[in-house]
Amino acid sequence: MQKFKVTFLPDNKTVSVDKDSTILSAAISAGVYINSTCGGDGICGKCKVVVEGRVTSQPNGIITPEERKNNIYLACLTNVHADLKVRVPDSSRLNFDKLTPEELEERLSGLYSKTEEISPVKAKFENGVFKHSPFTTKLYLELPKPTINDSISDLERLYRALRNFGGFPVIQTGLFNIRQLGELLRDYEWKVTVTLGRRNDMVEIVLIEPADTTGKNFGLCFDIGTTTISGQLVNLNSKKVLGTKAAYNQQSAFGSDVITRIIHAAKSDGLEQLHNAVCDTMNQIIKELVLEHKVDLNTVNCIVCSGNTTMIHLLLNMDPSHIRKEPYVPTANFLPVVRAAEAGININPRGLLSCVPGVSSYVGGDTTAGVLSSGLYQKEKPCILIDIGTNGEIVLGNQEFLVACSASAGPAFEGSGLTCGMRASSGAIQKIHIDKKDFSLRYSVIQDKKPRGICGSGYIDLLSEMLEAGIIDKGGKIKAQNHRRIRKTDLGYEFVVCFKEETASGSDIVINEADIENLKRSKGAIYSAASILVKHLGLEFTAIEKFYIAGGFGTYLDIEKAIRIGLLPDLERSKFVFIGNSSLAGAREILLSTQAMEMADNLAAKITYFELSVEPGYMEEYSQALFFPHTDLTKFPTVKF
Amino acid sequence: MGTQLVLEKWPAAISTVIIGATKDEGGSRSNIVKIGGQTSLPLLFKEGDLPNKPKIAFEIWDIPPQDWQEELISAYGKAINDPFAWAEKCVNEFKAQLLCVKMQGAHPDSGNKTPQEAAKFISALLNKIKVPLIIIGSGDDTKDNLVMPVVSEAAKKERCSIGCAVQDNYKTLVASVLADGHSIIAESPIDINIAKQLNILISDMGLSLERIVINPTIGALGYGLEYAYSIMERARLAALSGDKTLACPFICFVGQEAWKTKEAKVSVEQGIAWEAITATSLIQSGADILVMRHPKAIQKVSNFIETLYQG
Repeated sequence: MQKFKVTFLPDNKTVSVDKDSTILSAAISAGVYINSTCGGDGICGKCKVVVEGRVTSQPNGIITPEERKNNIYLACLTNVHADLKVRVPDSSRLNFDKLTPEELEERLSGLYSKTEEISPVKAKFENGVFKHSPFTTKLYLELPKPTINDSISDLERLYRALRNFGGFPVIQTGLFNIRQLGELLRDYEWKVTVTLGRRNDMVEIVLIEPADTTGKNFGLCFDIGTTTISGQLVNLNSKKVLGTKAAYNQQSAFGSDVITRIIHAAKSDGLEQLHNAVCDTMNQIIKELVLEHKVDLNTVNCIVCSGNTTMIHLLLNMDPSHIRKEPYVPTANFLPVVRAAEAGININPRGLLSCVPGVSSYVGGDTTAGVLSSGLYQKEKPCILIDIGTNGEIVLGNQEFLVACSASAGPAFEGSGLTCGMRASSGAIQKIHIDKKDFSLRYSVIQDKKPRGICGSGYIDLLSEMLEAGIIDKGGKIKAQNHRRIRKTDLGYEFVVCFKEETASGSDIVINEADIENLKRSKGAIYSAASILVKHLGLEFTAIEKFYIAGGFGTYLDIEKAIRIGLLPDLERSKFVFIGNSSLAGAREILLSTQAMEMADNLAAKITYFELSVEPGYMEEYSQALFFPHTDLTKFPTVKF
Repeated sequence: MGTQLVLEKWPAAISTVIIGATKDEGGSRSNIVKIGGQTSLPLLFKEGDLPNKPKIAFEIWDIPPQDWQEELISAYGKAINDPFAWAEKCVNEFKAQLLCVKMQGAHPDSGNKTPQEAAKFISALLNKIKVPLIIIGSGDDTKDNLVMPVVSEAAKKERCSIGCAVQDNYKTLVASVLADGHSIIAESPIDINIAKQLNILISDMGLSLERIVINPTIGALGYGLEYAYSIMERARLAALSGDKTLACPFICFVGQEAWKTKEAKVSVEQGIAWEAITATSLIQSGADILVMRHPKAIQKVSNFIETLYQG
């Protein structure tokens, strides 16, 4: 097969590919990231690149004749026929900017709210609901030397000393450790540090090291989101969080939602690619964390991962295809503790990896972790946890029962699938105010840069403000009027949020009627799922004591506006509590306490999965929610436009 | 011991809509038509007030109809070739109390009348006949947005009912109706939520809910009638329970649906029966205005209504 060289600019990375490969696949092999929300199906139009050289391209309705004149092509539908130079414009680039520490702090501890600014996750953690007993513990032992009267074997001697510390149920030791035990004990005068790890109901001797190293015992917890992966490095002795980092899940190159990823996994090498992508992202985060905090990677002994069922399948390189097919059965919800190395995660080579157990194919360990960290399962009165993500998970319950459902809300609130949508990262508009009289606009941008697009919380603000100013009607249609911000296009009306002079890309940032429709469906899916779940249990929203709102909304979410657009029910504002990334917080608790680990197992077994798609009232409920704020205005008594 | 009827009382009422304005009210109609006002489900006379009988409107066009079958056309004879004669025949011969005129001639595919031509037609029609009018656009949104405001203005003060406003195109029509003192027909695709949403959107523009007539969209017998029936019934139940946004009378376009069926094309008798049965079924689900085509079907349904309301 003929090979050609493709050079990607401005990265200046060159890769040699077979003739007829797509530019997108060349980019993936070159390690250059190009947006591709549809996973290379030629639908989303996010992978536009400028090409120098001979290519063939399949016809599509996305590239305009003018763009074609400027040599703009869709990377996924364009095949290499010569050596090429490909420039990836900013708009087609995944933004791998790291979040600033302040942003992360805010993102992880809870979101901004007008009514309340608390972080129960953190508070609970500090109070210590669970007994401190980390996933891996280090014990320093000084063993008595064997004598003719005390001649039990080296391993028995070690076990005997360990039992003095208290009741370990079953102890297991790998052959690797036993082989070197005799020499190690004698070389270091019977003074060793033993690292013990929990392997479900057993205790395993993970590692035997010379001398006293008990001071160096670290662990990691991760939230593996479909879009964002966040990780924390924790000192397991002091419970102190040393650092937190987040990066975009590199799997995004293969599609933006779990379904496209599952489809990709079925392609040849697809599963491998997705598995590698998540490992690469996590290993990069781990590397940066240990380097920055001067921690020896060998002293990182364990890792707890929380993620939706699909993400966990991909992390462990398990085939996720049955998640998508009726009757939607995953390979496993409860996974045994494995060695991190088996999953491809670089910590201590014998270090352990645990996944927070999931409930079903569409309610994963991230939800279990959320229930754990929000304390939902301890409440007397019913409370709700709403995780606003691509798959909006909703859990309703208290100390007696827990029921969860999953609403396919779509990625709109994560800024995906919208004309000018973007994730909550540098350059995203996250806060908007529109003057009712002249439609002049004030906005704030993450990191105060020139705006590149609008993120989920920005869209919530924008919708609410547009309704308030009468720019759109309650159905989400833009009202035609003579104003420079309102324009008619082939696709209907659009509203200009920022003119090109103000933006980073030099083109206008707009919202059109299709975007509004998209957002309307997302908010409708979440609201109606919560509503039907409450109804299913014979309750009313008013009977719910607290609403815990979790999700990756960035650093800001205005609860008032979320209610005004009908995303959240119209109730006393003090009922809403923002808990940010509840999945990561839960994973951290599990890392630090075997009690929490056992509780997570109990919770996952206890949570009842409620399938919305077979609920007869769901479609009706959903159609009613496709209006701002809702078709039944009596459900939103405080909302007046 | 006699059987005791269990009576249900509802807390709310359907609003009353008046079509037509007499001289005293600034118009030139000889009579007015009142619909709505119920405080019970259809025909449950003991449970509440049913002050206004269902009304039948004769459907006429501003041009000779193009796709009506021969049997239907022959019912009107030569008059059908002249819209004014057709209208007069309905009133004089068939004793129509209400006409529904469809401005089909403004459609780009059937004559493409200018807004001025359409307005001139309406003015002339209002001069020639004295019963109240329902005026319906051609169904081409872009064209209707040009034509209907002018038509509405030409019928100013005559308190017509003008339609149809749909979810994606209601603003122009609402503005005209508001300015010219008419009521509006709000059309939704057999969908109670959209009906409700559209009513909210219309009332948000300042046209009160009391000036809205709901066109729930119906299917003829055998073509989804039961679906329309249940949507109307659900809307009525909600309205009588206190949902103001659904408390509007219904207009049902029976003729156009019934005569579209292949059954109606078999014979004229069967067509008439099809139209009549569709209409009578809809009366039982709460229809307030039935827009119909065949005079014989209209006669049958008229008799049916009289019999029902004899008490």
